[in-house]
Formats: sequence, C-alpha cells, structure tokens
Amino acid sequence: MRLPVNSGWLLVLPFLLLVGGLFLGPILNVLWISVTDPTPGVQNYAQLGSSDTLRRILWTTFRVCVICTAFSVILGYSIAYAMVHATGPAQSRMLGLLLVSFWISVLVRTFSWLMLLGRNGVVNSTLDALGIISAPIPFMRNELGVLIGMVHYMVPYAVLPIFAAMQSIDGRVVQASRSLGATGAQTFWRVYLPLTKPGVVAASLVVFIINLGFYVIPAVLGGGKVLMVAEYISVQVLITLQWGTAAMLAAILLFGVLALMFVMSRFMKLSTVFGGART
Amino acid sequence: MHDKNFMRETLLQGAQAFQAGKLQRRSFLALCGMAGFASASVLAGRAEAAAGEIVMWNWGGQSEECHQSAIGAAFTKDTGVPLKFDTSGPLQGKIKEMVDSGNVTADVCDADLFDAVALGKTGHLEALDYSVIDKTKTIDGYALEFGISIILYGYAFMYDTQAYPDGPPTSWADFFDTAKFPGTRSLYKWANGSLEAALMADGVAADQLYPLDIDRALKRITAIKADTIYWGSGSEAHDMIVNGEVSMGMVWQNRGRSIETETNGRYKLVMNQALAMPGAYIVPKGNPGGADVMKFIATAQSVPAQLDLFACLGMTPTNPEAIAQMAEADQPYSITSAANMPNIALNDPTWWGENTDAAVNAFLAAIS
Amino acid sequence: MTNTSGSLHLKSLSKRYGAFTAVDTIDLHIQKGEFLTLLGPSGSGKTTLLMMMAGFQDITSGDILLDGASIAHTPAEKRNFGMVFQGYALFPHMTVQDNIAYPLSVRHRPKAEIDARVAEMLDLVRLTGFAKRMPKELSGGQQQRVALARALCFAPPVLLLDEPLGALDKKLRIEVQAQLKDIHRTVGTTFIYVTHDQEEALSMSDRIVIMQNGRIEQVGTPSDLYQHPKTTFAASFLGKSNFLHRDGAVFALRPEKIDLDPEGKGKGANKVTGTVQSVTYFGAVLKYQVEVPGLDLIEVDVDAWRGGQALPAGARVDLTWVDSAAVRLSDQSL
Repeated sequence: MRLPVNSGWLLVLPFLLLVGGLFLGPILNVLWISVTDPTPGVQNYAQLGSSDTLRRILWTTFRVCVICTAFSVILGYSIAYAMVHATGPAQSRMLGLLLVSFWISVLVRTFSWLMLLGRNGVVNSTLDALGIISAPIPFMRNELGVLIGMVHYMVPYAVLPIFAAMQSIDGRVVQASRSLGATGAQTFWRVYLPLTKPGVVAASLVVFIINLGFYVIPAVLGGGKVLMVAEYISVQVLITLQWGTAAMLAAILLFGVLALMFVMSRFMKLSTVFGGART
Repeated sequence: MHDKNFMRETLLQGAQAFQAGKLQRRSFLALCGMAGFASASVLAGRAEAAAGEIVMWNWGGQSEECHQSAIGAAFTKDTGVPLKFDTSGPLQGKIKEMVDSGNVTADVCDADLFDAVALGKTGHLEALDYSVIDKTKTIDGYALEFGISIILYGYAFMYDTQAYPDGPPTSWADFFDTAKFPGTRSLYKWANGSLEAALMADGVAADQLYPLDIDRALKRITAIKADTIYWGSGSEAHDMIVNGEVSMGMVWQNRGRSIETETNGRYKLVMNQALAMPGAYIVPKGNPGGADVMKFIATAQSVPAQLDLFACLGMTPTNPEAIAQMAEADQPYSITSAANMPNIALNDPTWWGENTDAAVNAFLAAIS
Repeated sequence: MTNTSGSLHLKSLSKRYGAFTAVDTIDLHIQKGEFLTLLGPSGSGKTTLLMMMAGFQDITSGDILLDGASIAHTPAEKRNFGMVFQGYALFPHMTVQDNIAYPLSVRHRPKAEIDARVAEMLDLVRLTGFAKRMPKELSGGQQQRVALARALCFAPPVLLLDEPLGALDKKLRIEVQAQLKDIHRTVGTTFIYVTHDQEEALSMSDRIVIMQNGRIEQVGTPSDLYQHPKTTFAASFLGKSNFLHRDGAVFALRPEKIDLDPEGKGKGANKVTGTVQSVTYFGAVLKYQVEVPGLDLIEVDVDAWRGGQALPAGARVDLTWVDSAAVRLSDQSL
C-alpha cells in the first residue's frame, strides 16, 4: 500500500503534534481571548483607535526597538568584522567572550549599568571629580538608559548571524575589488556590505523581534517612564486583569512581526536570510 | 524568571551547537526568535500541592523563612500539617489564571486585601470560616468575606538628610513641592499609594481620601514628573535611595528602618501621613489543602506569630493585642502604633478592589 | 586605450615566513606585451610571487619595478594591474554588466564611456547579449570570460592570471586557451599567468618560468625549454624525459626522439638493446616501456601511423638516437 504522503512525515508527526499543541495552542488561545474578553467582539482592537495611551505605548515600543536594532546591528557588525579578521586563537577568545555574555542575567546587567552610569555611578563620579561636569549626566532612568541596556543585551544576538555571513564570503572577491582599483571604502560599500546583507537582515529581524518582548530592562532602566508594550501586557495580565487588552496587544505584536517578515520577503528570499539553500 | 533562565540556557547551548556546526543557522535563529516571544511570558513555574499539607503562595526571599518560623512551626505543631511554599508571587492575574485553569496548587496567598475584594467578587476565592478565624483580631473593617488582614505594611517616604539640612520635609505636601525641596523623587509605579500621597499633598484629609479623585491626584503627580522616577519592586525602591539616585523616595514603610540603619541615618523615614496597607490572606477557590487553611490563618493571628512577623519582616501586626505588646523602640516603626495612628491614613480595600484597573492604567498613561 | 607601459622588473625578490622561504631572491625581466607563464608544482612559490606582484603579499626583501619605477609599496588598488582569480571571484550580487563596469565605475568614469567600454569588452570575450545575466546563471567558461573582461576593462598595463582555467574541464580548457591567446594578441597587455599545467604553459606562453622551492629553475621560450632543459626537474616537469647517466653527467632524452626497431635493425650513433615490457596505444602515438639492462625503464613514443603493427611485450628491440637528441643537464650524476 502506498501512503498518500511521504512516509518521512510520519517520523516527525509526534513532534509536529507536540509543536502544534505547545506552540500554536497558546497562540490561538491568546487570539481567542482578544476577541472574547470581557465580552465577544472587537472592542479590544477598537481601543487602538480610541486610546492615546495605547498608541503612545506602541509608538514608544516601535521607536525604541528600531533605534536599538540599528545600534545593535552596527555594533554587532563591527564586532563580527573584527572577529572574522582575527587570527585563530584570538577569534576563539572573542567568540568565547561573546558566548559568555549570554550567561549574564538581565538583572545583573541592569544593576551593573546603574552602578556604572547611574546618578552617582562610576562615570558621573569620575567626571565630577575631574571637574568636567557640575551636575550628573542623566544616562539612566530614561529612554537613553533603556537603549544602552537593550543594545548591550542584543549585540551578541546581532553578531552571530553577521559573523556567519562574513565567514561565508570568499576573500578573493574582496581582493578582486581592490585589484580592480576600488578603495577600501568602495570595496566595503559596493562588495562587502551587499554580500553580508543576508546576515544583516537576519540580525535585524532577530534583534527587533526579541526587543519587542523586552520587559525588565525598560522597566528598570527607564525609571518607569519608558513604558513598552511587554511591560504593559504584563500589568494588564497580572494587576488590572484586563486580559482582553493584553491579548489584543500580544496579537498586535504577533501580527506586526508577521507583517514585517512578509514585507522583508518582498525584498529578498527569507530562506537566504536564515541560511537556507541558495538557489 | 524560571522561563527566562531556561530560555537563556537553551540559547547558549544552541549558540554552542551552532558554532560547532551541529545546529543549522536557521534552527538557531528560530530559537532566538522563540526566546523573544518567551521573554514576554509572565507565568512562572510553581510547586505542587496536595491534601495533608498547606502551601503558602508568597513573595520568596526572607518572607519564606519568616512565615515558616513565625506561623508554620506553631501551626504544624498544633495540627501535624506541614507548611510549604510557592514563592512566585501571588499577583491577581496569576491567582485568576490558576483558578480558571482548574489546577489549583496553593492554599493561602500572601496578598493584598483589595485582591480579596476583586477576586472574591469574580468567584475566584473561598469565603473565610469566621468560626475558626477571629474577626476581632484585626483592624476594624479589615476582616472581609474573602480575606482578612494579618499584617500591615504601608507607603511612607524617606529623605536625604544631607540634601535638606536646614529643614527636612515632613509631609506629602513637602514631597510634592520641588521648589522648596529640589531634587529627584521616587514613587511606586502601579498607582497604589502614589495616588493617596498626591491627594494628601493637595490638602485632602487622611480620612476623606476615598473615593479617590484620580484626576486631581494625577495633576499633582504629573506636575513633578520631570523630577520623578518610578519603582516597581521593594528592592528597586531601596536601591534608588541608597545609591543616591533620589533625594526623597517613597518606600514600603516596613523597609524604612533597615535603610536608616544601612545608611547610618543619612536617609530618614517620615511616618507622618503614611498610608497603611492591609496585607491579607486569601484562599483560592478549590484549594487542595481544604479546611486546614482556616486553622493556619487563625494561627497567623496569634500574638506570638504577629510579633515574630514584625521582628522578622518589619510588618506591623493587625491583632490589637499584639500591637499593645510591642517594645517601646519598635513603636515608631509600627504603622498602627498609638503614636502613629492619629497621623496616618488607612487604605480602603473596597475602593481599590473595584477600581484597580482604572487607577493603574490612568497612572501609567500619566507617567509614561 | 592602448598601453605604452607594462614592463616589469623583479629585483632579488624574496618572501619569508619565519624560517620558511616561499619566494627566494627572484630576478626577472618581463617585457611589455609579453605572455609570461609561471609554471611549477604546488608549493613552488608561483602563486605567492604573483600575489606579491598584485600587491596582496608584502615583500620581505627586494623590489618590483614597473617601467622602471618601484611599486613595491604601492597598495594593490593603486597598481592598476588587472587580475583574474582562481574561481574567478566574480561579484555574485552584480550583473555581468556591473561586474565588467566595476573598475571604471569605481574610477568615476562617465556612464556613456562605461557603457561603450563594457560593450566592447563583451564583444572581445564573445558574451554580447549576456550583460543582464547574473554570474550564477553562466557556465564556468562564461564566468571565466566575464572575469577576464572585467580585469581588462580598465586597460591595465599588466594582467595577472592565477590558474584561471583550473575549474574547467579539459575540452573547454583547450578552447579557452586559444581564446585567451587571441585576446592577448588583441589587447597587447602584459600577461603573467600562473599554472601547474605544462601543456597550458607550452601552448600559450611567449616565455615560461619554471619554479621550484621558491626559486627559478629555468626561464625560456617553450621550445627552448623543451629542447634544452637545463635540469632534471625542468626536463621532467615540462614534458617527459628519459635520463641517461654517462661519463659522470646526466642527459635528458625525450621519448619521441628515440627510434625503435626490431633487434638487429637499429641504425644510429647511439644504440641500446632491450625488451619491450609494455605498449600502450594513444591514437596518435604508441608508448613503449622498454627494459634495457643497466638503465632505467626507457620510454619511447612512436608515431602510430609510421610504426605499423605494434611490437608485443617481450619482443627484443633496438633503441637508437642521434647525438643532438640527448641534452646534457647541469645536475651531477648520482
């Protein structure tokens, strides 16, 4: 008897069901809550039109995420570039340091930033002692603080896909550009950067998407004034019990990310971005 | 935080496998993406509960050992029933989720009395058995159908004695006056306490606060927004003060004493116009431990338990008998002591139980 | 765009990595317009030498002069040398048009000039009509020609080619060799060509530099090198040779310069007799392996059409050659 589908699927069927149950189930539940709590209808979504606060929170989230993504990817690109061009042992050390940074908990990081850049932190105290400033520079407890904390957290995530893209570049292509008379800058902008674009796009997507869910860093380093959507969702779930609003915002995030991926897919093959087969 | 730790470890292993070439880049990136979604997840893991034991759902840290020594030891001695803990923090949303899911794993929650009002109304709580629990062993009005106040905490403020050497601030009016008392302030960011403080600063009498005039309160709060930062946890409030980020900071009153000690008196607690908050024990609907939990709550009302909790956590007793037995030196830090009582305000759990959503969201809209 | 320059002078050029010497005091004059091939096995230093000329390898000592002026410390992009890489190194994200236009566009030339020049180049490499293709849409041979067009587009005085035909199959390789030679004649640029393939070197070069262990083994025209190898290495690397040890000297004797006759029929100044060990038919030639007492196996090529019926293994044969056929080498006899 021939099976109507490739029998290979049967092997992964249990896992597909598991993924379906554990991943799709909760997502569908969230979507369901967003149109049924507290009463059936689209009133939760209608809030987007009527509530300045919700729009402002979404805008803050978007703005912070975009800025953070830009800085993370630029810094990540520089680090990946240095790593690719480092020799064997140095490269291993850099990679090790990068991976170690995944171990540092977000709470430790936020605490460290406050020690370093807080009102009475090391930097402000030093500048004050040197007579360079008369009042502390407000690095923390504002949007700048949130950005510093988030960028620091996200840079390693940006480095890895860019590093992989850079490693796959044939060094002769860069030599070819120079032999053809291009300066270092021309070679970078016209050859190197375009060839690492899939890595940059992958890094941007990963960083942006993870940023959307940031909670602790904005809550602490923002001093309560930088309210991002993840924290707001958490408040609606845990404190105000407005689960419909929370689910609606979660759905907006989900659809926002899907829309983003759709737009990206119009410009380039996402399979290339995520390391799939190049055709 | 458990979910996050798990995701971080998974990611780390993923990154290593990715480098070793064992994991495809696509899979690794998918993992990173999942971590992004998962980090927004708010529900933490919890201990399993069973009949024959009482599981207390509290906030972890010191409170676990304090509750065990102050209440658990005596309770287990009397009843033979052990006391266990789930320390993931019984926020309203988590209690609601637990009861709705049908998998109730906690017997008693160390919550707020306004939670008893909000969740009692929606059927998520067991009614208390006042044949076992004594209504008279708490403050008047703090023994409700679905919860009873066992201890009191409260909102007060501390100030930097070096910032105001000539005349320290003594009231919320001073706290909200940045012209007379320049410097950065801190307030609690989920509205509670902050709204009352603003109204008292605006001249509302302590016994006339409720129903809260939210708009009036927010006017005072936004007026000093540029000089205010907001905290979401007790340790954050503590750090803002001891790190010198603020020259006046709102704190949970029971932590004030240790900050005074820690900073050698540089920061001083002002108890005038403090807002007493009834911390309450509430029982999730269908709790696995059954009726034993009522005996547990009764044990918590006993004088020794109340005094031990104060010694251990700084939470003020609600049993009038326990308050009367407190040491002289402890009286200033006990929010309902005879000396403090005329100068403080009492939180109205019913108003908060019915208006938390409106108050918190209005507050967030104003400060963000 | 014709070149008035393109002569290169390498003066005592060396490249050392610690104790290892990759290129060892090379002295060489390369004429303007010449097609010069660096031939050697892998590790002989030929690619390193090319990369030093290109500017991608620092030189440890010595100098490189272009038309008499030192370029030893001129960065690669300022040398204006075209280069064709092994594997072509086309820009995968650019069309054929943009690849070829690249050297002009980085020099900010007017668009009209670029378009005209690219068209001219496409015509030169016979790829007119392929301008809008992406490199991955082309065959290996076509990619190779795009790389050539790109490297020649800005009329460099010198074109460096690093095993450019290495990735092509044999039939295509011979075809492209002829095209390359044509193009060399057309543009008149100095070509410096690295290969390990002796046939490629023989068929295309004006002069060949045989390299071994970082040193020049011998320089000369293809026929000069083939007819008059100076060392055992040169004689064996370029073509095949039998080596005869006589009077304390070594002589190289090409297989096709030996006459093979049945025993007793051989006539010539030099004659040895041996037994056929094997014979292999190659169409144009018959290759005999003949065992001669006191000598190594001697290889003999006989024109197949002239030789008639092949002699079987075990047959006794006379091998004869004229004096001038055996070339005395500089190596000492062992």
